Amino acid sequence: MALLLKRVAVVTLPLLVSGCVSADGGFEPQFGFDRVSQETTAKLGKETVWIQDRNASGHVRSRVRSLVQNKTISADTAVQVALLNNRGLQAAYAEVGIATSDLWQEGLGVNPRIGITASRLGVARTIEGVISANIVSLITRERRLDAAAAKVAEAQLGSVEKTLAVAAEARTAWIEAASAWEQVAYLNRAKASADAAAELASKLGGTGAMTKADQAREQVLYAELTGRTAEARLAARLAKERLVRVMGVYGQELDFEVPNTLPNLPRNVRTRNDIEAEALRNRVDLRLAKIELEALATSYGLTKATRYVSDLELGAGLEVEQEITENEDGSTSKKDVTSGIVELAFEIPIFDSGQARLRKAEFGYMRAANLLAEKAVNVRSEARSAYQAYRSSYDIARHYRSSVLPLRKLIEDEGLLTYNGMITNTFDLLTDTRERINSTTQSLNAKRAFWLAEAGLTSAIYGGGETPSGSGAMVADAGGDE
Amino acid sequence: MVSRRAFVGAGAALAGVAAWSKTSAMSLPDAPIMEDASTQPPLAPSAGPDYNPVVTPNGWTLPFRMNNGWKEFHLIAEPVEREMGEGMTAYLWGYNGQSPGPTIECVEGDKVRIFVTNRLPEHTTIHWHGMLLPCGMDGVGGLTQPHIKSGKTFVYEFVMQKSGTFMYHPHADEMLQMAMGMMGSFVVHPKDPTFMPVDRDFVFLLSAYDIDPGTYVPRVMEMTDFNMWTMNTRVFPNIDPLPIGLNERARVRVGNLTMTNHPIHMHGYDFSVTCTDGGWVRPEARWPEVTIDIPVGAMRAFEFDAHVPGDWALHCHKSHHTMNAMGHDVPTFIGVDKTSVAKKIRQLQPDYMPMGTKGMADMGEMSMPIPDNTIPMMTGWGQFGPLEMGGMFTVVKVREDLAKGDYSDPGEYEHPPGTVAYEWTGELPMAAKAPDAPVKTGSLEQKSATPAKASDHSGH
Ligand SMILES: [Cu+2]
Repeated sequence: MALLLKRVAVVTLPLLVSGCVSADGGFEPQFGFDRVSQETTAKLGKETVWIQDRNASGHVRSRVRSLVQNKTISADTAVQVALLNNRGLQAAYAEVGIATSDLWQEGLGVNPRIGITASRLGVARTIEGVISANIVSLITRERRLDAAAAKVAEAQLGSVEKTLAVAAEARTAWIEAASAWEQVAYLNRAKASADAAAELASKLGGTGAMTKADQAREQVLYAELTGRTAEARLAARLAKERLVRVMGVYGQELDFEVPNTLPNLPRNVRTRNDIEAEALRNRVDLRLAKIELEALATSYGLTKATRYVSDLELGAGLEVEQEITENEDGSTSKKDVTSGIVELAFEIPIFDSGQARLRKAEFGYMRAANLLAEKAVNVRSEARSAYQAYRSSYDIARHYRSSVLPLRKLIEDEGLLTYNGMITNTFDLLTDTRERINSTTQSLNAKRAFWLAEAGLTSAIYGGGETPSGSGAMVADAGGDE
Repeated sequence: MVSRRAFVGAGAALAGVAAWSKTSAMSLPDAPIMEDASTQPPLAPSAGPDYNPVVTPNGWTLPFRMNNGWKEFHLIAEPVEREMGEGMTAYLWGYNGQSPGPTIECVEGDKVRIFVTNRLPEHTTIHWHGMLLPCGMDGVGGLTQPHIKSGKTFVYEFVMQKSGTFMYHPHADEMLQMAMGMMGSFVVHPKDPTFMPVDRDFVFLLSAYDIDPGTYVPRVMEMTDFNMWTMNTRVFPNIDPLPIGLNERARVRVGNLTMTNHPIHMHGYDFSVTCTDGGWVRPEARWPEVTIDIPVGAMRAFEFDAHVPGDWALHCHKSHHTMNAMGHDVPTFIGVDKTSVAKKIRQLQPDYMPMGTKGMADMGEMSMPIPDNTIPMMTGWGQFGPLEMGGMFTVVKVREDLAKGDYSDPGEYEHPPGTVAYEWTGELPMAAKAPDAPVKTGSLEQKSATPAKASDHSGH
């Protein structure tokens, strides 16, 4: 236990951001946002601005139009358009504006401009994360400030999470839509095979070589497949509509297509053994909760953080933690820990209870600290789950692609040979074909599951996924009156 | 088809065996192994009384050695790979490298000693089908002798009490071992060389296997639905012909070790049944035939004077026994217009060829790819076109210019001008015709297959 204790002076931030903080810890006028915007614009030629006037609005509108109109759009385009164009997102940014205006009144010249970009997979994810980190950093810098700053923080938290959520939703909707159209295409092929069988059956009926029941068996198969195809087509249309909503497009902008197929599986997948550490470092909700915890401590008058304890230890209770403190004073050498463990531990500040004005405040604080620890544990688990889903869905999809489908192909090829030898008949051949198509649709489902899991990885590391953050209320409740 | 060169080669291969049999001492006789499925030349006796040896189409004769007045043979029961036809090999059990095993020949009155070595994974015995012998030599495992365990060698000794045509096969796990191809012919020539002499003497066994297209091993539990109907474990078009010189007297000995009877039919001749496995048929008891039904587990020999040259079919008259592997669940497509269906199927299966709409003869003409290790259902080509045959079918080739003892394939028969059926190209008289009757069919209307418009399918 003692080995896990570690004093952490500054929360680690991505390089991009820490470069924007001056040596004395004060603010530079534009903070990091302009620089993020510039860098991403230079690298990717894409940019998203917080629309604050008619000029910007017109600009965004024409950008969106050029991105989608008469085009078949990629997942990244869908994400970018959503980030540019989603009105709910703009509303969240406006909240930041309102809060910042209040803060401005207090004399703090912060005017955040949110540069957001979306491009090739991976890079886009990083950028989405960087933006969140920036906003969080802003809050970090301001955590010593009063209620106005806390409200800014709240609004900023909202917009960060909203940004991430919109990006994730756009990506997911795009995957669902493309996959649904791919399913339709394969069902159409299955239908064609059933159609051929139905026609052949009816012709055999015409020559007197097939009973009515056997003809009907072939025809009902075709009729059922026709129904299934129609259902799949409807599902594909609804999936596209969901994407349209996230992208916030309407009118002429609706004139775009989603590809009829998902991208192929990547050649290999990233191995990320440090996924827990990454999530602990980057999860917006977690880091904000921590800042809020510190604000809460301030509001209780617990002014000085004496040490940090990891989420792993907090569950052991306050007494254990205090014992460790006593030992720590005697033998400092034992505090040394390897960096790997530091990476894996989520540090929670502990305030010296001796300086607490009230016993009640200490309990209140520890309650909040434990809730934070619980959140950290959940974040770890979510990260592991997301990574497992990513790895396993990749293996499953690859299994379908490289084991199941070749076997189906072999069956179909051999089926044609036995058909040629008049050993099996046309219906057997068409059945083999249909079964291959069924396996193909299973394979498509597996591929879809992989791309969804891939998208889920981003949410698990940066936030904005389905897990509610919920900690924003804490500061408002506890911090207001003290 | 066997070529002259193949004969020379095969004769040379066995010459070493003959040389050995004169010099070897009291040890276990060597067991020659045959690796070729082509017809081997007749094996003239190396010792003992003389006889006119038989020819086993797509088979061979086991050499013997004399040892103190005993004719000694050595059979090895073992797994073999038998080429049933070009491009189709079966993994069977047989004797001395082949299935069927080598033909054993000897003479009435001979003292015969047969060594049987078992290299199978399970025990076996050999029953000498039709032979008159001491009960303990009858080869019924458990009943008349202990089984020959794997790796063991047993000796059978008996005196040939009568001449005739016999068979040998296991009588231990008999159903399986025969389904795996274990059998052979056993010919005993008369002591008197002037008794029933012939110029050409052929012997073959009928056997049947169920080998799924694309596989190699027979399904030994199949009782009725076989798909490989063979003569000497060989199927048309790869059964060697029976060449006979014009005006020669020929004998064909046929044994049946399948599970059904086979009406063996020969074109161009009427013949006499002269021998069963019970013995020779007295002349006054013979009657003329063109088809002789061979019962299960029986042997029949028929004879004729080959006085009409030509290529004469010799085959089982059960027409499905002159077919190779086929599916019994293929619907009858006669009269079905597959044009539009074929177009649809080709979108999914570009190599699809519609077949059977006029009959099945297109199968014989189109040589489309079929599964590995499979012989087309109906196949073979003659000078006038596809033969559309398989299984138990071969050709008796009667030729004027055939040398004595020449068993190589003389090729296609050159018909004298004006002796082949020809096409009529002149006027045809009007045929009488009944008034048209209304046609009623059993076709189901296809209403139900068309979905509702609202479902937005792409339509036909
Ligand atoms: Cu037959």
